[in-house]
Amino acid sequence: MLQCIFLLSDSGEVMLEKQLTGHRVDRSICDWFWDHVISQGDSLKSQPVIASPTHYLFQVVREGITFLACTQVEMPPLMGIEFLCRVSDVLSDYLGGLNEDVIKDNFVIVYELLDEMIDNGFPLTTEPNILREMIAPPNIVSKVLSVVTGNSSNVSDTLPGATGSCIPWRAADPKYANNEVYVDLVEEMDAVINRDGVLVKCEVYGEVRVNSHLSGLPDLTLSFANPSILDDVRFHPCVRFRPWESHQILSFVPPDGEFKLMSYRVKKLKSTPIYVKPQLSSDAGKCRVNVLVGIRNDHGKTIDSITLQFQLPPCILSADLTSNTGTVNILGNKTCSWSIGRIPKDKTPSLSGTLVLESELERLHVFPTFRVGFKIMGVALSGLQIDKLDLKTAPSRLYKGFRALTRAGEFEVRS
Amino acid sequence: MFPQFGATADTLSKASTMVFRIGTDAHLYDDPDDVSIAPLLDSKFDSEKCEALKRLLALIAQGIDVSNYFPQVVKNVASQSLEVKKLVYLYLLHYAEKRPNEALLSINYFQKDLGDPNPLVRAWALRTMAGIRLHVIAPLVLVAVGKCARDPSVYVRKCAANALPKLHDLRQEEHALAIEEIVGKLLNDHSPAVVGAAAAAFASVCPYNLSLIRRNYRKLCEILPDVEEWGQIALIGILLRYVIASHGLVKESIMFSLQCTGSSHSVKDGPDADFGQVKESTDMDGTCDYEFVNMVSRCYIEGPDEYLSRSSYANRESFELTGEQFTSGKSNDDVKILLYSTSPLLWSNNSAVVLAAAGVHWVMAPKEDVKRIIKPLLFLLRSSNASKYVVLCNIQVFAKAMPSLFAPYYEDFFICSSESYQVKALKLEILSSFATDSSISSIFKEFQDYIRDPDRRFAADTIAAIGLCAQRLPKMAHICVDGLLALSREEFVTKDFGFGDQEAGILTHAILSIKSIIKQDPPSHEKVIIQLVRSLDSVKVPAARAMIIWMVGEYSSLGEIIPRMLNTVLKYLAWCFTSEALETKLQILNTVCKVLVGATEDLLTFKKIFSYLVELAECDLNYDVRDRARFLKKLPSSNLVSIGQEEGTNDLPEKDLHVVAECILGRETRKVKTESFSYRFYLPGSLSQIVLHAAPGYEPLPKPCSLLLDDLNVPEGTSEIKKRAADYSGTDDYGTSSDPSDNESASDYDSQHSVAESSGSARGDDSEFTSEGNDNADPLIQISDIGNASENQNGVSQSGPANLGELMSDRALESWLGEHSGSSNPGISEQSQVRISSARISLGDVGKRVKPKCYSLLDPATSGNGLKVDYSFSSEISSMSHLLVCIEVFFKNCSSETISEITLVDEDSNRALDAADKAADVNQSCLASSDNVPTLVPMESIASLEPDQTARRIVQVRFHHHLLPLKLALYCDGKKLPVKLRPDIGYFVKPLPMDVEVFIDKESRLPGMFEYTRSCAFTDHIEELNKENGDSLFVKDKFLAICESLALKILSNANLCLVSIDMPVAANLDDASGLRLRFSSAILSSSIPCLITITVEGKCSDPLNLSIKVNCEETVFGLNLLNRIANFLVEPTLS
Repeated sequence: MLQCIFLLSDSGEVMLEKQLTGHRVDRSICDWFWDHVISQGDSLKSQPVIASPTHYLFQVVREGITFLACTQVEMPPLMGIEFLCRVSDVLSDYLGGLNEDVIKDNFVIVYELLDEMIDNGFPLTTEPNILREMIAPPNIVSKVLSVVTGNSSNVSDTLPGATGSCIPWRAADPKYANNEVYVDLVEEMDAVINRDGVLVKCEVYGEVRVNSHLSGLPDLTLSFANPSILDDVRFHPCVRFRPWESHQILSFVPPDGEFKLMSYRVKKLKSTPIYVKPQLSSDAGKCRVNVLVGIRNDHGKTIDSITLQFQLPPCILSADLTSNTGTVNILGNKTCSWSIGRIPKDKTPSLSGTLVLESELERLHVFPTFRVGFKIMGVALSGLQIDKLDLKTAPSRLYKGFRALTRAGEFEVRS
Repeated sequence: MFPQFGATADTLSKASTMVFRIGTDAHLYDDPDDVSIAPLLDSKFDSEKCEALKRLLALIAQGIDVSNYFPQVVKNVASQSLEVKKLVYLYLLHYAEKRPNEALLSINYFQKDLGDPNPLVRAWALRTMAGIRLHVIAPLVLVAVGKCARDPSVYVRKCAANALPKLHDLRQEEHALAIEEIVGKLLNDHSPAVVGAAAAAFASVCPYNLSLIRRNYRKLCEILPDVEEWGQIALIGILLRYVIASHGLVKESIMFSLQCTGSSHSVKDGPDADFGQVKESTDMDGTCDYEFVNMVSRCYIEGPDEYLSRSSYANRESFELTGEQFTSGKSNDDVKILLYSTSPLLWSNNSAVVLAAAGVHWVMAPKEDVKRIIKPLLFLLRSSNASKYVVLCNIQVFAKAMPSLFAPYYEDFFICSSESYQVKALKLEILSSFATDSSISSIFKEFQDYIRDPDRRFAADTIAAIGLCAQRLPKMAHICVDGLLALSREEFVTKDFGFGDQEAGILTHAILSIKSIIKQDPPSHEKVIIQLVRSLDSVKVPAARAMIIWMVGEYSSLGEIIPRMLNTVLKYLAWCFTSEALETKLQILNTVCKVLVGATEDLLTFKKIFSYLVELAECDLNYDVRDRARFLKKLPSSNLVSIGQEEGTNDLPEKDLHVVAECILGRETRKVKTESFSYRFYLPGSLSQIVLHAAPGYEPLPKPCSLLLDDLNVPEGTSEIKKRAADYSGTDDYGTSSDPSDNESASDYDSQHSVAESSGSARGDDSEFTSEGNDNADPLIQISDIGNASENQNGVSQSGPANLGELMSDRALESWLGEHSGSSNPGISEQSQVRISSARISLGDVGKRVKPKCYSLLDPATSGNGLKVDYSFSSEISSMSHLLVCIEVFFKNCSSETISEITLVDEDSNRALDAADKAADVNQSCLASSDNVPTLVPMESIASLEPDQTARRIVQVRFHHHLLPLKLALYCDGKKLPVKLRPDIGYFVKPLPMDVEVFIDKESRLPGMFEYTRSCAFTDHIEELNKENGDSLFVKDKFLAICESLALKILSNANLCLVSIDMPVAANLDDASGLRLRFSSAILSSSIPCLITITVEGKCSDPLNLSIKVNCEETVFGLNLLNRIANFLVEPTLS
């Protein structure tokens, strides 16, 4: 059971503490934690489970904010971590992003949310749609109202009906004039290209996001044209398991509003939409860099916001890099980022320049890894296709919309 | 160009954030106390109250104590505004425990809210009321929870389930049964949301009461997919435990695969019966490391600590899995239904649920079905970075136990540069644990990329992983060695500049890997050794050099070329000896000596080199090198036949010396058995598995088939199970033998009663159900003499409390110390088993000089009637119940009149004050049922006390808490005087005599979380020393004086057992640093051992600096005890 949750800013300041059980946790544990983070560098920062002298700590870091939970007894660590992830998701959804100011500005809402989300160290209500009914998110109207009238309550005075129903994710009986369902396929491509230029791993992690505004208690079924390509799937609690097991059909009563219906993985893809060819040659204390980026095979859709990032090896003193398209920036922590945008029709984007090595070093012996980013609207690179979406109890008019989008996930090119 | 532009943009953005912040609570967080809060709280407008409460909340968030507003805030509980209510509740819960008395004021409002028509209000009221944690209101909360458990609203019922652990946490045994009853009722609820919360409550309230599960096992399985995700996690664990406890493990599962080979070696014979060799046999789905799996499954069932400790005591057969403890997964419906209902959960969106479900399949599923957990587990690696690490930790064990499971999916463990170092290291380890002949080439390709990674620590780990792979797959050894050799020759590695440790680490790892590969088959790698030796000149890193030099000595007679090279190599080494680093110097000496011992030709040269080196080394700056040289000088002389003149070696015949030399330096390195017991395994998905020690509250799986079946149809052969089961159900099993087909309520009561006892005795909590079962309750005792415990169990349970009482008094401190007093008068007796640097002291007469501290209960001045009552804690141990603490009370009449009818009673007890038959009455009730220990066992009343007369009584008291005082009432002359009895945690323990060895052993098993230290100053001895100086006739040893005063101080303030005193044997007689006193004790209520070590620092005649260390499983108790000890050590004794 979790005993306490702390929210720490990126400078280690405790912004908020919420004691969850009668066994209080002193906030000196945060000092201990932060001292160790400072003394051990990033290795502790990236360690999700820490055994401190008095407590076990779970930490999740999102956008500079550290969510720290303490426990003294055995409990599934993933439960703590997953819960902290949910908290951070809900908060960033409520506050429109996460940063130190926004949390401090809305600390009352954060407290109220935490109080609803966890009771005595055990998660209570974590479904975002229900939380929204219990505690109103801050918005322009409520802010203006509070300035004008001087008071506004964001605590709902009735219990959301869904907490009692057998479909706890759906608000009871919403009414809409227009019945609409939008289905988005959002995919991320993970790929690794090794130093020989061979595609070692290429797979797609995708999500089916649904935005539903349907009256009453709709029962939807969604089927794919080619479900066999899915390597593995994970579902929102609303999806019934058995129809999927027997016919690979998604049958569900959707929550109201936006939610992630399922996530899936498609493995062993054969090609990537773009290629990146880095060439590094070094001698006499210098290293020449030349990187080419181009479209490998045309999907008929434009590839947007192409970026390339890499970390200069620590043994490099200075770098002089130029490109024929886009802009090149070298940040303070030796991160070099090249944003290309769209690939022009007439030329192949290339980055070239020289790196100066440390004085004693003749040749470069460690090589950077290039991380690639891109976005393609209107196509799901995995090839997954939605066959049809049906509503069992059809209302008079139902508007259905489908979209697709592919982004780069962990797309790495080693040099 | 526009210098002002930037400024404008800056102010603009500032302005925009200001706009953005309008309407939020930003100003409240920034300046929470810029207005005075108190008047706002008393305002009649809800909005002002809200603002004040928000300000308070902001102060709480910033860590400022605002509990002084408590009374004003509590009043606002009555507010009708839900927002005010919510904010008040947030405040209340934060401070309730600090201000219990004021919190009581709010109870009425809660009770009113509990009847509110709005379910949200009811739920909030219940949550807050249960969260206040006051012992006084626990009965009220219990009633409220019971009522809410029948509430029409699902949400309220859910909150009722969540409130149960809060109640249980107060540890009031009289409510345990009622709480469990409500858990049972909620588990039976028709709403999945309630069942989930009830499952979580079950897991923390009564995890042993598996008979509660039996009643609706099927229903729980069916409802499992509909339960909320968080409840699913708890429910999965409970169902798994239930199935194992009632049906045992599954024959077709991985867990079974080695149980049979473990118990009888002839059943399955692997390809070779070599010890330490990994047994691999192919079955339907590939290889499986049997020895490893066996260890894993045993760890799951027994817990690694128990299992490992027992295996070291060499009585492994006390727990043996027999055929009866296995069931078939194909025919057993309960197993099938569990697997069927957990398999869809592998698709859950919640990674904790997926891992929990995977754990069930890992333990229970037939071997061919286990593979269905692979893809979901691998998919989890795509979720957040934090969970990736946890999942990998679990996959690591799975992959080691059954490499074939994950081997085809090696690509999923390829490493991304953005991952954290821990994740990378885990992935490397997993990759090298299941590499196969088919996958190794692509894995090596990856590894080559990793070596060029800018993260050099990771690159070094990769090199180590290559070595591991080569050892697993001997076919690859040559390729690996070639690659590693090439790497070690690379310029960047050998060149000795700038990069320091990191590149050096890579070289060291490369050589280490080569070394371990060569070790497997030295003759085939002769050329590699030669190449390495040739590269000696370019290898500058000392650790790597030392390893190569070691290889020279180790393989000096291998093949034909190496012996011929030796001459040159040794000369080279001798030549560069002076410029070497320490470890290389030592290794050179060893190597030359080794060569000398084994050499057959060139003896003269070697001898010259050797004596040259020894001479050099004897003048070395480093004492280690000098020592080594002197040591080695004597050894090989035996090999040189002509010499034998040393006097010192006379007692060792020449031949023996040669044998010694052979043993120490001989090339016949015995194959060291792979240290398989260094692994610790905990259940998949548990916290303990991640931190690799048993976290408090960790429970291994129940023993298979340990749940006693109703019809008592236990097979004959499983007497062990019977005993365990008897353990579980307490000593009287009338409850379990009753017919389950009786009417519902009766069997309900019975089963709950018996299991409630089991939860008490098995967990060793401070429950008072079975005082006679106490002996079996202590888990530590169970480990060490499990055979004894089961043998004499009958005896103990029959002879009852009297027997135990005797035992206790025998073990009391005074008698134990007294035994020794005859043998040794105060003085130092060095014992034979002393360590090198310390002597052991025994103090004879401390026991008699112990004077417990006296506290005043009633002051004659304030009470008015001149009665003076003092009390002190007695080291006696109550024979009635282990919850009772004995207290000596001294009455003295300071007035001039006779005082009559003095008696001390519990203030809360509302029994009639008939003192005469009360004592008898209580005694009877104690004997009849021990499960209702009174707060105070009333003392014999004092009929009358003459002026200046004193009387002494012993009372036995049960404190509810080890810090809070107990309110009692003292009656005298018919008047009632309220008194407060302050507890002393030092007397909540009893002495636990043990040997030093046992002490150290136990101490080593309570590391980390269970160990707390504090330091404090100690001055008492100074006075003592000064006193000694005064009468100079008999100068006592200073150390002894310190020991005595320290021991006396501790024993007079806490009921401990002095185990040993270690005295440093130091040249400086005035320096007491290193003096160490060890005390042992056991917590009265739970018999959990509590070890105290005190180490002294500083000069004898100055104030000493003590460092106090407490090792105890009960964290909170240990900390409190530590604080108490530190406190009384600091305060000077009043003489």
